Amino acid sequence: MAQSGKGKLNYRCPSCFMRDLDIDMFYDKDKGEYYCLRCQYTGTEEDVLAKNEMVRFRYRDMMKRITKFDFD
Amino acid sequence: MDKFIVNIIHRPEMVPEYSATVTGHGKEEDIGDKKLLTESLDIFKTQQRLAHENGLKVTIQMTYASLFNEEAVQLAKEHHEKYGDEISLSLLGLPCEQFREKYKTKDFCIWMFSMEDKKEIVNDVFEKFHDIFGFYPESTGSYYLDAELTNYIKEKYPSVKCAVATCWEEGPKAYHTCNNSWYTLFDGGPWAPWIPSKQNTHAPAANEAEDSGIVAIPHLSRDLIACYDGNGSNFGTHPQNVLRGMIYDSKTWEYPYLYNLIDQFRDQEKYNNGYAYNMMFVGPGWMNKMGRWEAPYELLEKSYADGCKYYGQLKKEGKLTDMTMSEFADYYREKKSYTEPECALWRDILYGSEKQVFWYTDPYMRACVNMDQGGAIVDLRPYAAKLKWEVGIGTKHVQDASYPFLIQEKYRAGYFTHYAGEGTVRSAKLCHNSEEVDLCLCRTKAHFSQEGKTRILTLDPVTIEFADLTVKLQTKEYFEEGSGTIKIERTILEMSDPNAEVELNEYMVACYGTTEYPEDMTGITLKCEGEGGQTIVYEYKCREASLEGAEAVSAVIPAIETKVSLTASGRAEGYVREGYAFSPMFTLGYKKKVSDKEVFATWLNLEKAN
Repeated sequence: MAQSGKGKLNYRCPSCFMRDLDIDMFYDKDKGEYYCLRCQYTGTEEDVLAKNEMVRFRYRDMMKRITKFDFD
Repeated sequence: MDKFIVNIIHRPEMVPEYSATVTGHGKEEDIGDKKLLTESLDIFKTQQRLAHENGLKVTIQMTYASLFNEEAVQLAKEHHEKYGDEISLSLLGLPCEQFREKYKTKDFCIWMFSMEDKKEIVNDVFEKFHDIFGFYPESTGSYYLDAELTNYIKEKYPSVKCAVATCWEEGPKAYHTCNNSWYTLFDGGPWAPWIPSKQNTHAPAANEAEDSGIVAIPHLSRDLIACYDGNGSNFGTHPQNVLRGMIYDSKTWEYPYLYNLIDQFRDQEKYNNGYAYNMMFVGPGWMNKMGRWEAPYELLEKSYADGCKYYGQLKKEGKLTDMTMSEFADYYREKKSYTEPECALWRDILYGSEKQVFWYTDPYMRACVNMDQGGAIVDLRPYAAKLKWEVGIGTKHVQDASYPFLIQEKYRAGYFTHYAGEGTVRSAKLCHNSEEVDLCLCRTKAHFSQEGKTRILTLDPVTIEFADLTVKLQTKEYFEEGSGTIKIERTILEMSDPNAEVELNEYMVACYGTTEYPEDMTGITLKCEGEGGQTIVYEYKCREASLEGAEAVSAVIPAIETKVSLTASGRAEGYVREGYAFSPMFTLGYKKKVSDKEVFATWLNLEKAN
């Protein structure tokens, strides 16, 4: 089994991201998956991208342009 | 006239942060790698081009490494001539072959070196700068500059009048976000420019005697809710921070949040006598050709281009003034007095919660009022103590440069605790029969006004429902410039039974520290002051003392040379409470029976205790 590498982009662990932890994952080319050194998350690139969409659930105003900042 | 100012700062960092973990992964370290140097310089050139294309002038903070690079030096000279850019000197970006050779260390954060090394490095870097440009810089900076370092720089190189001196709330939260590998521990400072005192960088100078001689600016302008509640590095006027936070549409590559953030800073002029400030300072490592934070280079570049474009557009519309750092220092000195506070009434612009907070900083304190918790004070730093807190190798605080808190709702809980004990907060409870309601559970909104030198927060009234009584109460909070006090006034606007009485319990649960972990509370002195006064010296014994008509209830915390007290507008029962090992806190409070239309005020007072 060959050593793991970084993969084509620095994908972070989406599970750790949800707990405010930025940790780059490594890519296991034998298994075709990214894995986290900090927790038990593993996933294909497709799964990582899907989970990255999911983590945005909390940003309800992410795409909203806000022009009023007080409550007067 | 209203003014929104931006400082755009670039640094030609020849070995950018992250290069080892991103570009260099899987390779042996080569700090003199020519490919890396070329790429780093290319990023700097791109940043310069994007700013200039949008009509923005830049402060070029030369790094030590870039002073050895002829092309970087030449570019700085050209852009100074052509665009009016300021040639400045950063104490970031020290790593290079020459530095490693000379100092025999991989340390790169100026505030963590020994004082002896700090002086030697400053001399070295400033003299090298002078050799090349023929003058000494007027501005400098790092992620943090400790007071001793600033004092030395100012003494040796008096031309320096502006410095990047802290990164707002970059402390334990940022450390954790980086898997406990990012040692920038400096919570507790101002979020907007200030004049640091000679004693402590975070604490603004109260007068000329305390003036360190520089105007400090924060590294980035950060979201004053998101950054406090969560990971600091995702929410700032740093376009790639926004990408790091995944706050963009991954299909369209749009990020309205970045513009909302800039606009909310613009809005702060309403609370600061017509002045608001922003700074954008992106190191080249964030525009790595390999991509970063799942974002390809194209998106990294686009976000920086869009950031410059938005500032440029505001400038064209006459809504923004771009300044270099030294120009800004001159402006700031003219505009602000020592005691004038910085205020920010800030709302959530990302999570859709409508949460609102108010931040206040002056030479005596930094405080955060949380309207989602009925106007409770959820963070308090007693700058009145002007605590001498040396940092770096050879001091008691090698890494920890944070200004200690008395209240910090994240590190020492707030209203909510698990199972037992209390968290730090300054709030009030209303008690009726056997029921008790804490105002922390009364969500509301605040409105800002100013009367003379007092800033006033008027909160929308809240309703407290007991089983057989309804009470409508309004809170007003007064921040009197230069006083070191916060007055909190409660008015009973209405009671369903006009003849009823309720007990108002004004309280403050506090401790001290800079991290999540408890400090030794032994020796803190709690007092009910006045005739028949009582004293408890902290021993974790869960004791309590009270005094009817107490003139003050106070705590002296020797470890942070601070005295904090509460005083009341009318006769009331003052009390102090000692904590215990599972709840290492102390409580100061006043209890008073109040009835319909009654007004009761208390003051939170901060002083230095030697």
